[in-house]
Amino acid sequence: MADLLDRFAPLMSQRDAFFGDGGADPFSVRMTEILSQTEAMIGNRRTILAGTNNYLGLTFAPEALEAAHAALDAGGTGTTGSRVANGTYAGHTDLEEALKDFFGTDHAMVFSTGFLANAGILSTLMGQGDYILMDADCHASIYDGVRASAAEIIRFKHNDPADLDKRLARLANKPGNKLIVIEGIYSVLGNKARLKEIVAVKKKYENVYLLSDEAHSVGVLGKYGRGLPEQEGCEEDVDFIVGTFSKSVGTVGGFCVSNHPQFPILRLVCRPYVFTASLPPSVVASARVNLGLIKNGGALRTRLMRNAQKLHAGLTGLGLKVASDVSPVVAVVAPDPQTAVAFWRGLLEAGVYVNLMLPPATPHGYALLRASLCAAHTEEQLDEIIGVFADVATSMGLIEPQRKRAATG
Amino acid sequence: MATGNDHAPSPETFAALYELIGGFNKTGVTLTPETRFSEDLNFDSLVVMEFVAEVEDRFDISVPLNLLPDITTITDFAVALEKIVAAERG
Repeated sequence: MADLLDRFAPLMSQRDAFFGDGGADPFSVRMTEILSQTEAMIGNRRTILAGTNNYLGLTFAPEALEAAHAALDAGGTGTTGSRVANGTYAGHTDLEEALKDFFGTDHAMVFSTGFLANAGILSTLMGQGDYILMDADCHASIYDGVRASAAEIIRFKHNDPADLDKRLARLANKPGNKLIVIEGIYSVLGNKARLKEIVAVKKKYENVYLLSDEAHSVGVLGKYGRGLPEQEGCEEDVDFIVGTFSKSVGTVGGFCVSNHPQFPILRLVCRPYVFTASLPPSVVASARVNLGLIKNGGALRTRLMRNAQKLHAGLTGLGLKVASDVSPVVAVVAPDPQTAVAFWRGLLEAGVYVNLMLPPATPHGYALLRASLCAAHTEEQLDEIIGVFADVATSMGLIEPQRKRAATG
Repeated sequence: MATGNDHAPSPETFAALYELIGGFNKTGVTLTPETRFSEDLNFDSLVVMEFVAEVEDRFDISVPLNLLPDITTITDFAVALEKIVAAERG
């Protein structure tokens, strides 16, 4: 008889081929001390963090720390209950009010993680006889959410409004509601949705709704940090925004905001909401404070984009293949997974942490070194990151030595 | 899953699928109606998605993701495909 986990044998042998030699692997990176938003001790090495999605660097915002400490002392370490049981404290509803104020929506619902927000909303919003049209490059939480939905799931080609149009046209005569699902900024490569064109397609058809996952764009895009819909001036055309507190907001948790008049019924039917313990008071308090900092965070956004431009230009200038346009995510394409692993280890040994991303979790089967920037990265840190990329890539023969930048010390 | 109640898919459907699968057939196995996508062709989730996208373009249809867990063999796929095409044209 086959073992319980034998079906993972191909994955296990792939893992062993990449990491079986006992060298560093992403599953065993352990940060022993967090020195700041941008530095930590990994093993005995002081390491620059360039893969945390902590875009605005708010994880140590003094105002948020203070509010979190006070809430921790007043409310304890956890609520031990779901939002529909004993887990709704004043802080939770205050946070939902803050979200409504931030986005200018009628309704807001807070979940315990961003993953659960997607899984919960997408599994309950559409029912039997409805259709969900999702971008092919959507996050795993969206895939898992729609899989639990009774609706029919149709993928359209990544960021391709014409392909979406074609698929909506096929459904035009079918009864049932349709929901388009996209992401404001796609997490792996950092590219933006073609939102205006997608909205134009949406408007051609009846009974079509639009949901955008703004996990990587809240705090990053828009004058007030409300994400891609704000930046593109089409917030009224996005019916549901899902987001997370675990990136720009600097803590953990997720949310959905909407103007749909019957939105509150989801609090009764959304199982990942009903059956998950609510966020601890300290988390809720820091999220609320950081939302305010994001709203007034124009200077942070300017610094973030300046850092993004510098790293993008620096890595492109080395002759490395960068998969995205200028964005707070800079994904370097390695020729193959084995090379990506060696590259990633070289960076880590030299004191730079980025994300290693391998197929099939990546678009186009890319093997990637994915860096994400923080507004708190200094010029010197960025120079060091670029210098370490240059050293490692040169020693691996991936770029010509003469293109290497002058050592930055 | 194909059952005894389904009409056998047409040779044209099989021919079209064989042609489209050909581009992804890394194992080089000979394609038959019983060939399995996962076990025989080693299709992973990524390849499945690319293959389905090509089928969708060729037949001008949308194949719902919900169908995929029930499909093991090329015959299963052919049966599902003909149903979708019939529903679209009907």
